[in-house]
Amino acid sequence: MPPPVPVNTAAPGHPAGLDGRIVVSGLTKTYGRVAVVRDVSFTVEPGRVTGFLGPNGAGKTTTLRMLLGLVVPDSGTATIGGLRYADLVEPLRSVGAVLDATGAHPGRSGRNHVRIVCDVAGMALARADEVLAMTGLAPAGRRLVRTYSLGMRQRLAIAAALVGDPRVLILDEPANGLDPEGIVWMRALLRDLAAQGRTVVISSHVLAEMEVLADDLVIIAGGSLVAQGTVERVIDSSPIGAIVHVRASDDEALRRAIAERGGVATPTTGGRLRITGLSAAGVEATARAIGVQVHDLTTGRAELEDVFLDLTRGRATIR
Amino acid sequence: MTSRPAGTSPSPHILRQLRGERRKLTTTKVWWQFAIAVAVTTGLGLVLSVGTTADALHHGGKGAPPQGFADVSTAPAQLVASFAADIFTSGQFFGAMFATLLAVLLITNEYRYQTATTTFLANPRRTSVIISKLLMAIIAAVAVWVLTTAIDLAVGVSYFSGQGLSSQLGSWTVERAILVNGLVFALWGVFGVGVGVLVRSQVAATVVTVLLYTVGVYGALGVVAAIQRFIYPHDSVAAWIVLYPGYAAQIAADPHATNLPDNTVAWWVGALVMLGYGLVMATIGTTLLRRRDIT
Repeated sequence: MPPPVPVNTAAPGHPAGLDGRIVVSGLTKTYGRVAVVRDVSFTVEPGRVTGFLGPNGAGKTTTLRMLLGLVVPDSGTATIGGLRYADLVEPLRSVGAVLDATGAHPGRSGRNHVRIVCDVAGMALARADEVLAMTGLAPAGRRLVRTYSLGMRQRLAIAAALVGDPRVLILDEPANGLDPEGIVWMRALLRDLAAQGRTVVISSHVLAEMEVLADDLVIIAGGSLVAQGTVERVIDSSPIGAIVHVRASDDEALRRAIAERGGVATPTTGGRLRITGLSAAGVEATARAIGVQVHDLTTGRAELEDVFLDLTRGRATIR
Repeated sequence: MTSRPAGTSPSPHILRQLRGERRKLTTTKVWWQFAIAVAVTTGLGLVLSVGTTADALHHGGKGAPPQGFADVSTAPAQLVASFAADIFTSGQFFGAMFATLLAVLLITNEYRYQTATTTFLANPRRTSVIISKLLMAIIAAVAVWVLTTAIDLAVGVSYFSGQGLSSQLGSWTVERAILVNGLVFALWGVFGVGVGVLVRSQVAATVVTVLLYTVGVYGALGVVAAIQRFIYPHDSVAAWIVLYPGYAAQIAADPHATNLPDNTVAWWVGALVMLGYGLVMATIGTTLLRRRDIT
């Protein structure tokens, strides 16, 4: 039985009928001989925040640009509410996107940048002041973008994305350049937008942030999909299992022995070893076998970072 | 069927895009820098055209009697009209060049400042974006023409009235010269968009435009002369120069001002050649753009 389809809870004033479900199917893009994205398929549901993760060069940005009709895929399709981006009747009122370049002319004021977006979206100019206020930029609206900090440019890009009150938000590394206060603000904004039934996709390197913010995850590495599902499912289905912390009488010997058994042990700042890939019993048995004494042993749940590094190990290469 | 949010405009996409393009043009300092440059070069053009007119009226030549007129106010209307046509189109050379460069900037700024991503996200119909820019380039070129013509009229009319002469603004010779001048500005605007879409690099597109506009014509004349001399020695070859965009524009503005024998090429042939260049380049450029990745 298919999962229940979420009711289209479009906020008032949305192009009727667009549900915010994103379906990416078999996307492939090759530059020269390098397959930047290889047969990637995933779905993103409305009303949830979906974290789109991957190491540098994994193909995140290229995938998002294909989804947004900026890059033409070699094969595969990407649709939003069943339509390709280029076929959306009112793209800005359906989808708001923040891509890594803010895309504002440095010699223009932030307010005029957003007003141009209002013009093209067919929105009243007053909307520009509304979104500037929403993103905390109102006092700087009349300043030239040249004078903005990186964090202010990110806020400006978010403001421009919000102009059309879109059903779907796609943000590529929006936390770049935001200060801690800005990150807290953005987290609240995105949670709020998802709670209103909107689709929120956010790519990021900040895994701890993602663990807090995201409901669902899509992880790609080396151009291919490696995991997708809820945050809990992705972590729980990881072969890493638990994390074992232990104090050993001979760190070096224990690390070698654990590596021979397929585990990974790394020293922590607290003077203990942090072990993945072996259970607590497995660690104790290993230590006993080589005559190393262990004490102070604790186990904990793996964190997103551990799972991410395990899933993407060896694929984080610059290609 | 889509329902529209309150406070939104029901105008077609292309008009909304055009409104955005207008705002892009008038919200950086480019427009007034260009306006100043146009005003200054038009002033220089006027010094030249008014000086030439005064010289001819007082000292002869250019259709005036060898000694000039003892009483300038007795100069025949037809002669005054030919001088007036010259004065009221002063500043064409640089004005049309600035109109072309403005059109080049409309396109290449999107790449230079990486605003292309914002632009094509807002309107993924890329052809519609380029058509809007084409319309904007024509409007901007006409605005440049309005500026030069306003300055020309202010200076020219006061010069003629100071000489006790009519400005001949009712004469078709003068009216035609002013109107065709506007057409030539618009044609250069279309041409500039074509160069911008095809070349994309702001520096390269600007250099190409300025070279085509200035020294390129001598190269083209050299090529035509060489063809006539060594390959196909026939009188009609001289008229081939109309295929060079800068020369085509000159012929469109006034065939008599070129070195071609009268009636070799009609003014509208020059206009069509210019329009053809602009549209063909814009079409090829847009076709490429439609397939290109915006990164």
